[in-house]
This record gives sequence, structure tokens and C-alpha cells, in this order.
Amino acid sequence: MNEKTEIIAEPDVKMVTFTIDGKEVTAPDRTFLIKVAREHNIEIPTLCYNEHLEPYGVCRMCIVEVTRNGRRRIVTACNYPVTEGIVVETRNERIINNRKLLLEMMMARHSEVEVIRNLAKEYGVDTIRFKEQPSEECILCGLCVRVCNDLVGAHALCFAQRGPERYVTTPYDVESDTCIGCGACYHVCPTNHIKMEQMDGLSVVYGDVSLGPDKPIHIDFMQAVPATPWIDQKSCIHFQTDGCGICSEVCPTDAIHYDMKDEIVEVEAGNIIVTSGFKGFDPSPMYQFGYGRLPQVMTSIEFEKLSNAGGSTGGKLLTPDGRTPEAVAIVHCIGSRDKNYNEYCSRICCMQSLKFSHLIREKTGAEVYQCYIDMRCFGKGYEEFYSRVLSEDVHFIRGKVSEVTDFSPDGLPEGKVLIKVEDTLLGIVREIPVDMVILSVGIEPQVGAQDLKQKLRISVSPDSFFLERHPKLAPVATATEGVFIAGCAQGPKDIPDTVAQANAAAAAVLQAIAQGEVMLEPITAEVMEEQCTGCETCLSVCPYEAITKDEEKGIAVINDALCKGCGTCVAACPSGAIKQWGFDREQIIAEIDAVLADIAV
Amino acid sequence: MLQVEMNKKKVDAELDEMLAGYERDRTEVIMVLQDIQDKYNWLPQEALTYVAKNWQIPMTDMYHIVTFYKAFSLKPRGKHILQLCLGTACHVREAPFILDALERDHGIKNRETTDDGLFTLETVNCVGACAQGPILIIDGQMRGNMTQTKVGGIIRKLRKAHKEEVAENE
Amino acid sequence: MNKFASAEELTRYQGELKRKTNGALKTISLCGGTGCKACGCNEIHTKLVEELNLREIRADIKVTGCQGFCEMAPLIVIRPDDTLYIQVKPRDIPEIVEKSIAGNEIVDRLVYHDSDGKPIPKESDVPFYKAQLRLVSKKTPYIDPMEIDDYIALGGYSALAKVLTSMSPEEVISEVKKSGLRGRGGGGFPTGRKWESCRKAEGERKFVICNADEGDPGAFMDCALLEGNPHQVLEGMLIGAYAIGSSEGFIYVRHEYPRAVQTFSNALFQAGEYGLLGKNILGTDFSFEVAINRGGGAFVCGESTALMASLEGRVGEPRAKYIHTVEHGLFNLPSNLNNVETWATVPAIIDMGVEEFTKIGNEKNKGTKMFSLVGKIKNTGLIEVPLGATLRQVVFDIGGGIAKEKAFKAIQTGGPSGGLLPEGMLDLPVDFDKLWEAGSMMGSGGMIVMDEDNCVVNISRYFLNFLKDESCGKCLPCREGIRYMMEILEKIEKGEGTMEDLETLEEIAHTVADTSICGLGKSAPNPVLSSLTYFKDEYIAHIKDKKCPGGICKALINYYILEDKCNGCGVCAKVCTMNAITGKKDQVHRIDLDLCEKCGACLESCPTEAIVRR
Repeated sequence: MNEKTEIIAEPDVKMVTFTIDGKEVTAPDRTFLIKVAREHNIEIPTLCYNEHLEPYGVCRMCIVEVTRNGRRRIVTACNYPVTEGIVVETRNERIINNRKLLLEMMMARHSEVEVIRNLAKEYGVDTIRFKEQPSEECILCGLCVRVCNDLVGAHALCFAQRGPERYVTTPYDVESDTCIGCGACYHVCPTNHIKMEQMDGLSVVYGDVSLGPDKPIHIDFMQAVPATPWIDQKSCIHFQTDGCGICSEVCPTDAIHYDMKDEIVEVEAGNIIVTSGFKGFDPSPMYQFGYGRLPQVMTSIEFEKLSNAGGSTGGKLLTPDGRTPEAVAIVHCIGSRDKNYNEYCSRICCMQSLKFSHLIREKTGAEVYQCYIDMRCFGKGYEEFYSRVLSEDVHFIRGKVSEVTDFSPDGLPEGKVLIKVEDTLLGIVREIPVDMVILSVGIEPQVGAQDLKQKLRISVSPDSFFLERHPKLAPVATATEGVFIAGCAQGPKDIPDTVAQANAAAAAVLQAIAQGEVMLEPITAEVMEEQCTGCETCLSVCPYEAITKDEEKGIAVINDALCKGCGTCVAACPSGAIKQWGFDREQIIAEIDAVLADIAV
Repeated sequence: MLQVEMNKKKVDAELDEMLAGYERDRTEVIMVLQDIQDKYNWLPQEALTYVAKNWQIPMTDMYHIVTFYKAFSLKPRGKHILQLCLGTACHVREAPFILDALERDHGIKNRETTDDGLFTLETVNCVGACAQGPILIIDGQMRGNMTQTKVGGIIRKLRKAHKEEVAENE
Repeated sequence: MNKFASAEELTRYQGELKRKTNGALKTISLCGGTGCKACGCNEIHTKLVEELNLREIRADIKVTGCQGFCEMAPLIVIRPDDTLYIQVKPRDIPEIVEKSIAGNEIVDRLVYHDSDGKPIPKESDVPFYKAQLRLVSKKTPYIDPMEIDDYIALGGYSALAKVLTSMSPEEVISEVKKSGLRGRGGGGFPTGRKWESCRKAEGERKFVICNADEGDPGAFMDCALLEGNPHQVLEGMLIGAYAIGSSEGFIYVRHEYPRAVQTFSNALFQAGEYGLLGKNILGTDFSFEVAINRGGGAFVCGESTALMASLEGRVGEPRAKYIHTVEHGLFNLPSNLNNVETWATVPAIIDMGVEEFTKIGNEKNKGTKMFSLVGKIKNTGLIEVPLGATLRQVVFDIGGGIAKEKAFKAIQTGGPSGGLLPEGMLDLPVDFDKLWEAGSMMGSGGMIVMDEDNCVVNISRYFLNFLKDESCGKCLPCREGIRYMMEILEKIEKGEGTMEDLETLEEIAHTVADTSICGLGKSAPNPVLSSLTYFKDEYIAHIKDKKCPGGICKALINYYILEDKCNGCGVCAKVCTMNAITGKKDQVHRIDLDLCEKCGACLESCPTEAIVRR
């Protein structure tokens, strides 16, 4: 409450010296007294003051006695401009007595409000001599109204009526259509009278007023790299009303610029490492698992977020209705090893599922059912981890889950769903009620990988992941010189493998940089200038974009560094103007002759 | 819905004509609202929206203004408007007894409109005719030296006139 | 009519008008003030016109603003004879026309009679007028407020001409400072000093504002001035604007005064036609425009910062005045606010000269002050006295004492924010400082007289109730404190109060006075504090004896029928809506105290005054 404010003097404002509680202080002329007092750690209580808003001076808690030109009078510190030579007393008997009586008045109307109770306690107000009314949470400090109108500019909240009937409301006391859901009112309210709730995907203030998404400034999740906050322009007040601007005001490094825009940055680079990652398989089309329909069903990636300490529950494992789960099913191979979706194995899911089992057992003690096809624990130490989880009383059911449902003829306990799975080892179909179903979704190439493929002129394998030049000899290189791949862009893999591959790609790039020169293909093509007609046929057929047109000369030019010597252009050139080193006419004819020589003989 | 739409259009057109003389400056807003109230006897929401839009005043400010100033009513008022002066001079001459009598004997409550829509009672603070207090203003006509008995007679007369009017129309 | 291009043209026109009006025609000055309107002066006017037409008599009828003697409304004065007719009914008109207008006789039965029954026909001889000194309201009875010529004929706008042609703005300010004029709105701040600060304040525009939001219940001086002599107020504003260096003015009139708005807008129009308002007034470089703003009905808008907020089209909530409005007022620009009476006094000062003006009043309080003298007094009405006159002079010499021969109990000055003063204070001079010292204040000039039948607790509660309703609710002490004080007074009224309550009451009163934002809150406890000082015994009577000395507090009184006075007419039984009164015709009636609602209807209707409450 007693936040310290730094007073920065404008260069041409004169400084004045005066006394607060016997202490001589200096401040810029006409600074509001409260700022000076707080700068000097002199505590003055306030209820309606917020340094980002114009002082309002209505709670009268910050009264102090000022002597100026020999005249004593009570003023409010929040909006009293200091002048030379004044004498300020913040806690003399008259002030304390007045504050006490004001608090007694407050207690009669707001006896349950914590800030008021605390202040009353601090000032020793214990008996209320006035007719007590049912405690009201709103103390009419006007912070919400002022922040909404003066700072945010949304004009959703206002005062109505006057005198003792004054109250805070929206026009006509109905849901506001100008509220932008910024929640500023909620943040400034000193008594928590204004509440923010989630309803129908919208945040709601005080029960019935619809609001938009919550805080516009996010750091996506705790381990996000870089951990730079970003502003959601859709919910940011500044981008809607031109108001607010508090974040830029409080940012100590002036890092916030509202006029910054998304921009395209052009970087000239000699090498590119493609690490476009993966996207999780979307299990919505697999209707039988109820994803998106049953709140209990989530993907492995969502579970990862839930169990993360930076997640929405702070790492607590909770069901959507807020309970600690008693039974959890983990369903393997969702979208992987499945002819209808992806045939390949996504490799990471088995180990990830084991990790989840371990976490669930540790955090909640819930029963965990692993429904798998095969357990694939191939890496170093992986099999050992499998054994450990086996010993943690996790149920392993070999078989595919056929259905997840919230219906059972026998009825289900509140909040539970039923999984149906054929246990192929026991040869029976099991129906297990659980509180949470985790679909271990497979790995798919990132959205936009196709685009990237076109741009970089690299190939993909039948599973749509980028194709390496050679699985053993050049596992991180691609057919295009200078373009490398690493991580899940190349194929499903876990973190250790990804890191290893990334290191390899980086080393390959460094190697090229260290060499300082590019080794050319020995067998490239060359345009014979005098024969080229500039028809551009070669330009369109070159898969490596190695050919450009020299507009001045009107001929095609081949970049030796890019040419892979595939010979497509040579064959395509209608005027026979392109020759390939090592494969010129004479050499080919010689070759043919040599081949035919035996036959001729 | 359609009804409301048409109503709004009608109000807009009427106000366009009536308020043409104003410069749409914020300083005029209280007078504009008074003019509207004079026309409709109260302030319909459509009219408030109209002023908010044309004078570029946030609805929040408008709502505070119309609930703050006593001159405005957000509810339709009765056929006859009774304003009882409760200024000091009238108070010392026992105007509060008249207020009591209006509620007790005639069912007309302060700041309310009777169920039949015939009377709205408001109290005002001094109309500047203190010498003749207590003062009751009936539809703008000032009546001095009021007593409980006189008020009773006036109310009964107005009620009777209304009944006759209704009977005639039928 | 062409605009006056110079001050000389105005003077010439003035001369013409004087010659014209000095004719042989009789003037019938009919008071059209609010009080007379309430007593049917409109019908009288119609009848008068009818009668004159019928007899083909030419006379000049002037419907003037409030002439002051509201108790005797409706009033007619025949000039030049100066005959005052009081409580005139339409049926009296033929006689008046025949005798006093066609002839020169006096209708004896319609003139004022003193307490000995002696007729006093001349207006200036009537004690009510005789004991007054009219300076600001001097011209009102001679003027039709809708006619600028009437005002000009009486020397109107010559003060403006004098200022514009022969004085620098600094000289005007110095004159006003020397005159010792203090704000008539109640604060009593020296007007000249205010103008000086505003002139010195920096701002691209400056405003001159007239406060006509006369919210004090029981006060109607400003209303009477605006309705009776709007040009004098306008002239004052013009002089002030010239002195301050402003070219834009506002007048903020409360909405309960529709006629004041009407007369003043007419005045603005006429002054504009004559070149007394607008660009290059009287051919000089000085230009000035005035806009009228109607208030929305809020007492707090009489407070300067609230008034300016309201002018800006916002809710009339005051703000702290640590930075004065003369520097940062309307639209945050230098603004000079004075009330109607102050503005109207300015031309009088310039006209008569500072020397003459300062002869009126006492040391620190110069000039005259208008009051509305109302309540339980014989001659209610609008009066003007020199500052420093005693309350006794006001109540007894002008007011004629308490009505119905009851005993004086208290006089309330300063409206809801003022104090109640007892009989012992009647010799107190009425000026800003003395009233303040006595725990009351000047206020805008309401004086409400109370007799033995009023209850001090009830009156204090009334004022608190008024202020509670009128508080804007912005700051805590005013919003809550007034209510809690009122609740305590309600308790006392019911006979449930304790002596501790009085202490609590005083404690709240001091905190509310100490900590409220604006004048409304700061002065709200005045009625309570002053009555606790001067009438504590009455509070104690409520608390300890469970008696209401004024016979007002319902819980503490009962109604009785005096057997010796009751003639058994049965009126009381008829008006009693609770059927609490029984009795046979021509026999003494009785009140069943269990059924009695204590509404007082019986007492009000009893022809023999046989019903009492105690």
C-alpha cells in the first residue's frame, strides 16, 4: 500500500523546502504532498489514491494538518501541492481523532471489509456508535470508475445517484456493452468488491458483466525461451481505447513500444539449419476417444502443461472439475502406428507415458492404466526406467483402447469416464472408470513444412519429414548445399537425440564457415554465351535455382556454387547452349563410342 | 423488437428537429436534457442514447448526470405533477404535515407516481415564494398557504375530473 | 434601434427617455414577483387592462419584479402619488381605477394600516419600507424587467459607460477594492481582490461567471433581482469582465427559476440590440458575450468548483480548491465567479462613487445586503438593509415582530449551512464577521424566523436531511457523517436519545467540518453546533423529560381539545382520517389518543382554536 514513488524533477521547476513531522525535506514546487511523504517513508494511509490516476481526495484518510502563512488547516495529502516553508503534521492529535471517527463511520457500513478492518484496528477503533448496516464491500473510493473512464477510456463504469445513495454501476445497471474486459477495475479495487471470473471462455467482472480475455501481457509459459512478455493487442486496453499505457510507464528499461509491428527481417546467410520441430497429432477426428467432447480427455502435450509448475494449476494435477484424480488412463499410439493416420512410430510416446505414470503416482497416488501396443524403450537407461515404473504398481494393459465414453448402463460416478480396452494378454475386454484420459499423441511434421520444403529446395521422405542427404554419411545435410536439418524436422525423436543432431548440424555449418571456401561440384553446367538466346527455359527447370538471367547480356548465367550438376538444364536447353563439364558432346560421343566399340567388334 | 426500433427512429427524428438550435457542445448537455424532459415529461433511454451519441458524451457520464440532478426523471411521470416546497420557510410552516397527508390520505408518495398514472409527487427546495408558504405547485401553477384540508380538496377535484374525462372518452 | 456607437449616444438616449417618461401619465406598478404570482397577480393584471380599456383611461402599467412586501401580496403602487395598495383582489380594481387613476383619491380600505389601525397610504411611509435602505434593489419597483428602456431611463448602463470611457481596468479594480465590497454569496471574500487575482492569472481565455444557483431554501434575493432587474446584474458582469480582461461570461441559473431565465435571456437580447453586449461595446475595444446555463437541480452546484463542473456539462461535484478557481477554474482557465447580488452591487458603487458607498455599513462590511425575511414573522418579504444593522431591527422594525403574537424563539441565517441564533443574540449586528463568530454565517441571505411552536431539534434535523439529500456523496465525511448526525437527531426526536448521543453528535460535527472537501460539508454541522450552543436545554428536554417544547416531535406530543373553547362544531371529527375524534353535535369533542396519528389536521381546521398539542 505504501508503494514508493520516485519523484523526478523537471529541470525548470524550482525546489522548495518545508517540514513534515519535524523533518526538513526538499521537493519540486507544487508536488503533491503524498509523493514527498512516501519518498521519505512517512506513512499516510490512503484508500482512494493510485499514483497512476489523478488524485481524487474522497476517502479523507490522508488528511494532514498544514500550517501555511500562519494559518493551520486540514488538507488531503494526495492532492495538496507543496509550497515553500509549509509545516506539515501527519499524525497529530487532531488528525488521529478525525481519522478515527472517519474509520468508525466506515466500520458502520463496511464492517466486513478487510482493508477497513485493518485500518480500524491500527487506529484502535473498536466500538461503533452508529447504526450498523449490513456490510457493503464497495467503499465508493471511485478507483474503478476513474481507471475505467480516465485511464482505460472504456467508459463502462460510473457512479449513479448522489449523497448516501451514491453507488457504482454501469449505465442503467445492466451489462455494459462498452466494457472491454481489461480487468483494470478489478485490479485497482481495494476491497475485492469487483471480481473477475471465467465464464463461457470470457472473463467476467462482478457476476454479470461480460468481459474479454484476461491479462493482455503474457509470458507464454514458465520455461518459454526467450522469456519475453508479449502484448495481446486484442485485449490490450491501449490498442482499443488509446488509454492506459501503464506498462510503458512502469517499465524501468523503456522496453515497451506500442508502435512496434511484426516485421520481415532479411538476413543474408551462407548456411541454414532447419529445426522447424513438430506438431502434436490432433486426435479430434478419432471420435471414439471423445477428445474435445469429454472434458476428462486430454492430449499428452496438454497434460505436460498441466503438470508443469508454471501451468494453470501451478503443477497440481486436477481434473477439470477441480478434483484430484483417483484413476488415470494413458492411451498409447494415438495417430502413430496406425494405417488410417500415420504408419510410423513416433518414438517418444512410450517414454513420455512412462514419465507421466511416474509423475501421477508420485503426485496423486492415483491408479494409472497404460494401454499400449508394444513398449518401445530403446535408449540408454530407458529399459531401467520402464522396470522402475513397473515396480510402482502401474497397470500395463496390452491392447488398443476401443472407446472412451461417459455412458455406462450401470451408471458412472460423477466426473468419471469409462475406457473400453481389450486386454490381449488376458484375452478379455476390460471397462475401467477413470477420472482422466491422456492420449499419447504422435509427432507430425510442423505446419508449414511443405512451404519450407519448396523454399529451400529440399526433399521430404514419404512420412513428410525432411529428408537427409544420406542416412549414414550425411545425416544432417540435405540435397541442397548449405541447408541442414536437425531435430523433429527430420523425424520423430526425443530430446537427447535432438540435441545430438543439432550439435552435429551446427558442427557441419561451422566446418563450412571455418573452411572459408565452398567446395564446388566438379561436374557443373556452363552456358555458352554465344549460343544462348535468353529463352529462360533453363531457369524454370533448375531444381536448385542455380540459374539466373543476366538482363544486360540477355543470357542465362549458372551459379557454380549452387549447381549440383544434375544436367537437367543441359537436356532442356532448346539451343544446346548449356554444356556440362565432363559431359560435353565429344566426351559423351567418346563414351558412346567406347561402349559401342565392343559391340561393333 | 420492431416496436423499439421504430420508436427509436421516431425519437431521433423528433429530437433532430427539437435540438437543431444547439451547437452540440458539452456545456449544453444539462439544458438539452431539460428540454427533452419538458417534451416527454421524463427521459426515455432512446433520448439519452441520442444525446450521448450526438454530443459525444460517454453513456457513463450521461447516466451519472441524469441520476445526480434532481431535475431529471428516468421513469415516466404522472399526468399531474405535484411539487411540494419543503424549503425552510415552508418547513417551519408545517409543510411536512402536508407531505404526510398526501401519502396517508391520498396514497401519493414522495418521488413516486401513483398506480393510475395520475399523480407524481416531488418535493422541491424553495421556489422563492416563502411568504406564501407552504407552497404546492400543481402542473406549474403555484398555490400558496396550503393546508392538509386544502390539499385534500385539490386532489379530490383532480381525481373527479379525470374520472369524468375517462367516462366521456368511453 | 441602432447600436450605440459611443457612450455619448447612450447618454443622449437616456435624456430622450427621461423626457418621454416625465409625462402626465400615471404609472401603475403591479408587483409580479413570485409571491404575488402565487396570490393571483395575473388575474389582477388582466382585470386592470380590461378596466382601463373600458373606461378609456390611459395609464402606464408596469408589471415589475418582486417589490419585497410579499406578506401583503398582491401589491399595486400608483405613481407619482406613491400610493401602495395591498392584498388587492380583482374585484377591487374598478374602484382603484376609478378613484386613484381617473381621480386622485385614495381607497382607504386597501392601504396599509399600522398596528393602531391608522392608514398609511404612501409606500415610503410604510414601516416595512421605511426601515430599509434600498441600494441594489432600488430600481426594481420602477422597472418592467422585460424593457431595457426602463432601466436606461433610470440611469442604467451609465456606470458601464463611465468605466469604459474614463477608467482603466486597474482603476476599476482599485475602486472595487476601495469600496470594500465582499462577496454576497455568503463567503464574504473581498470582490476586488478576487478580480485582481483573476486579472493577474495567466490564461488564453478568462471567464466571468454569475452564480444564480440560489439553492438556500428560504432565500430568493437572487431570483428577485434576476426577475426584477436583470440589466443591473448584466451591467455588473460587464464592468467585471472589463476589469478582469474577459470576453466570455456565463450565468448559471437554477432550474426552479424559469422566469429568471426568461427575463435574463430577454435582457441579453436587448442589450445586444443596443450594442451594450457583443463586439465593440459602446464603440470601444471591449467585447463581451454571456451564455445562460440552466442548472439541473443540485444545491451543491452553488459551490464554485461544482458549479464550474456543472457548466462544463458534468456532474456537479466539487474538488479541492488548493489551486484557486481564479487561476484554474472553468475548463481549467482563470474564472471569476460572483453571485447575482455582488454583480448587481457593482454598478451601484460606480454610480454613487466609493466615498458614498463606504459610508454605508460598518468598518469591515460596506454597503447593503438583501435578505429574504421569512418564517413566523408578520411581514415576510424581501428586504435590503445596511450591513451592520442588528437582527432586532430586521425582525421587529422591518418584520414587525412575530406573527400571531407568539414568542420569538430563534432566527436562522445563512441557509442550511448557517446557524440558529437565540433571542439573546438579537442585538448582534448583521455582518459577515459577527455572524461567523456567533457560529452562524451570512450565507446568501435567507433569514428564517422561528417562534415558540418550532422545535430546534426538528429544525436541525430538517437542515441535515436537506444536506443529506443534497450532498453529492463524493467524500466520506459529508456522505456518511451528515447521515449519522441525522440518525442521532431522529433518535432524540423520538425521545430515545441519550446524553452520550449529544457528545457523539458534537464529535461527528467537528470531524465533518474538519475533513469535508467543500463548503457544503464543512458548514453542514453549523445548525447542529449552533443549536447545541444556544438551545442545549431543548435537546435535554427531549432526552430527559421526553418533551418537545415546540410541540412538533410527534413521539413526544399529544393533541387535546380544550373543553372551554370547543363549541362542538364537529369540523375536527370530519377532517380526522383516523376517526379518532368523537363527540355529539354542539358538545365538547374528545380525541382518542390510541387512534390519533398526530397529523394535526384537526388543529389546523378548528375554527375556535380549541385544539392544542403539548
